[in-house]
Amino acid sequence: MSSHAAAGAIDHHHDHTTSTGIPNKKLFMWAFLASDCMFFGSLISTHLIYRLHPPPGSPVPRDIFSIELTSFSTFILLMSSLLMALAVNAIQKGNVRSTRRNLLGTIFFGLIFLGCQVFEFNHFVYEKGMTLKNSIFGSTFFTLTGTHGCHVAIGVLWLTLMYIRTFKPADADSGRHAWLTSTFSHLILFALAVVTWMYLVLGFINEAIESHVSGSMVTAYFSAHAVLFIVGVILAVALNLMSRAKGPIEFGEANAIDVEGAGLYWHFVDIVWIVIFTAVYLLEYL
Amino acid sequence: MSAVTAPAQALAEHDHGDSKFQIFVQIAMILAVITGVEIVIVYLPLLKWLVVSALVILSVVKFMFVIFYFMHLRWDKVFCTVLFFIGLVLAVGTSMALLALFSAEASAPIVATP
Repeated sequence: MSSHAAAGAIDHHHDHTTSTGIPNKKLFMWAFLASDCMFFGSLISTHLIYRLHPPPGSPVPRDIFSIELTSFSTFILLMSSLLMALAVNAIQKGNVRSTRRNLLGTIFFGLIFLGCQVFEFNHFVYEKGMTLKNSIFGSTFFTLTGTHGCHVAIGVLWLTLMYIRTFKPADADSGRHAWLTSTFSHLILFALAVVTWMYLVLGFINEAIESHVSGSMVTAYFSAHAVLFIVGVILAVALNLMSRAKGPIEFGEANAIDVEGAGLYWHFVDIVWIVIFTAVYLLEYL
Repeated sequence: MSAVTAPAQALAEHDHGDSKFQIFVQIAMILAVITGVEIVIVYLPLLKWLVVSALVILSVVKFMFVIFYFMHLRWDKVFCTVLFFIGLVLAVGTSMALLALFSAEASAPIVATP
């Protein structure tokens, strides 16, 4: 905790205890993001170079891309950025409940984005026949968007850990709580719930595309996956029970810099997608 | 801090927090609208260079809104902006140089003569 927290008034934008006047965690994050800019800059320019000078037999991107799906993904990522900004705003005011809700919303939207990317890659490979190694376009496209997807997945994991951390009891270090065990089980349950529901939803969308949506189709799908569906519901209920308040918690306004660090990373993922959306997708439609 | 000024500062901080909430929601709406415009603009029968320029400008506007408002650069010390822009300028400069280099005539692949 900084000296400002001890004094009861935290300046979230400046830290007079450091030589730069910037909190060290924030300075580290901005330095990392600056280096990540160069990383993505090289990947984007590699893709554009081969796109501007395609070797013979290259696929036509316009016949492969789905502008509707990509636009939806872009909108989802923008809205997740809003929720992340609101989560940081909430913790800076010491509102942990609002922070938790906004973090969950950001995680949910991040998972939708990842689901869309899994669906898109699956469609490109199995329907359009474009793989990582059968064309230069496929290589640069999958490397670029896949690296971005990995960043989103890491962001989702980071936010999930942050969400679970908000439940740490105030007296956790006294040894009266098995807090590490409960935290680990919370994380495992969260991961199982995410995998179960993503499998069910993506499978349902795939089924809906192959055969038209109807009452009998929905019934048949959920009958075939009844066990998984019940497991998903049980996991959701268990997570809800674990997120009930059980007394004073350690997490508060003093941890705003931690949430802000995760937020900076998440917004960076968003701005990289802003560039990818224009440079890789939209320019193909001219 | 005196007892009289403390509530005033607390009120000001509360107002500041609320105004930030409104700013974030408004910016998210602007970003969504700009994204919509970007999608529509590629289908309009306009000159190619005009559409490309518009897309680049709109992307830069979105980029700046996110880094200055959502990422708080507007409220942070200028050094954070300088640090990030060092990486950004290097990245953009390298990309431009590579694109120019590979577009040069000398970079064209050698075609086998009959």
